[in-house]
Amino acid sequence: MDPQTGASTFETQAHGVTLSLTQLLPDQVRAFYVARGFDLADANVFAEACVFMTVLRNDAAPGEIDFRLTDWEVRYDGATRSLPPPENWLTQWSARGVPDAAMLAFRWAQFPAEQSYAPGEWNQGMLATGLPPGSRFDLIARWTIADQTYEGRLDDVRCTD
Amino acid sequence: MFVAPIDRICKGLPVLPALLLCLGTVGAVGTGAAADLPPLSHRLTVIEDPAPAPPLRLEDIDGVEHDIADLKGRLVLVNFWATWCPPCRREMPSMERLYQQLNARGLTVLAVDVGEDVDTVFAFTGQLDPPPTFPLLLDTDSSAAQDWDVKGLPTSFVVDPEGRVIIRAVGGTEFDDAAAIEQLLPFLQKP
Repeated sequence: MDPQTGASTFETQAHGVTLSLTQLLPDQVRAFYVARGFDLADANVFAEACVFMTVLRNDAAPGEIDFRLTDWEVRYDGATRSLPPPENWLTQWSARGVPDAAMLAFRWAQFPAEQSYAPGEWNQGMLATGLPPGSRFDLIARWTIADQTYEGRLDDVRCTD
Repeated sequence: MFVAPIDRICKGLPVLPALLLCLGTVGAVGTGAAADLPPLSHRLTVIEDPAPAPPLRLEDIDGVEHDIADLKGRLVLVNFWATWCPPCRREMPSMERLYQQLNARGLTVLAVDVGEDVDTVFAFTGQLDPPPTFPLLLDTDSSAAQDWDVKGLPTSFVVDPEGRVIIRAVGGTEFDDAAAIEQLLPFLQKP
């Protein structure tokens, strides 16, 4: 846990890949998006969606990894669900009249919906689960190397209250 | 020494410094120690089947247009970044050191800011040490990033003197690391 913010990080290593989720406090998320052109009501929608700063890194996998967030699963309250795709958020922002420049910032600040990492490559971005504040869930991340699927699992991840 | 809580610091700052500090902290959260930031990569990924580079013609923050088509014969590092992106900020000083070291031997660096305006980028550059002396291009609608099939920031590409994309680096990279420089030297003029 970060002693300054109280935010917790959840991390796992599997098959040469590191995955970490760090809680983002709603204030942090709100501040970021309001500064980039969201109005407060719109920023609040995302800030309350259980957002994590997510890092996925190919440290030493036996080849280039490919992943799509649509293959990842959230297990919450006895059910398995998908992560809300970034496109859904963008559709919502468009309907709410969020300015184009703000939507552009949103799109690039998200963890990529799909990506490939050679050994040493990585990304960092925001990932929203859409779960209520304080929820606890398990995340199953999946990636492939030469058509073989691998998994990494984070158990009992907690959304900020 | 008194250390103020980070949320108080963030709230007390004007918008831009607050973003830089607070999102930098977001990038660092873990134990709150700088040592726990995700490490920058020290290697570049060689592309096995190099293809011609996509077009790239943009204005820099001084209004000067740059066209990668005019850079045939030079090795070009194209870096897609944004001021709010913590690993982008961390890797930029290493790009400047690389540029200082290899510019005379034929290396050009084009840093393409994705989705921000000139005032935002200009304000940011003053905080870097060393400050960038290579061109900072503005891809305000992110069309160039899409043309180059960038999926996350930062992403960088190396274009060889024949205009082919030969190397990529996805994620924050220490560009002046000896191992990275070693990969670039065969494409540069001898000292």
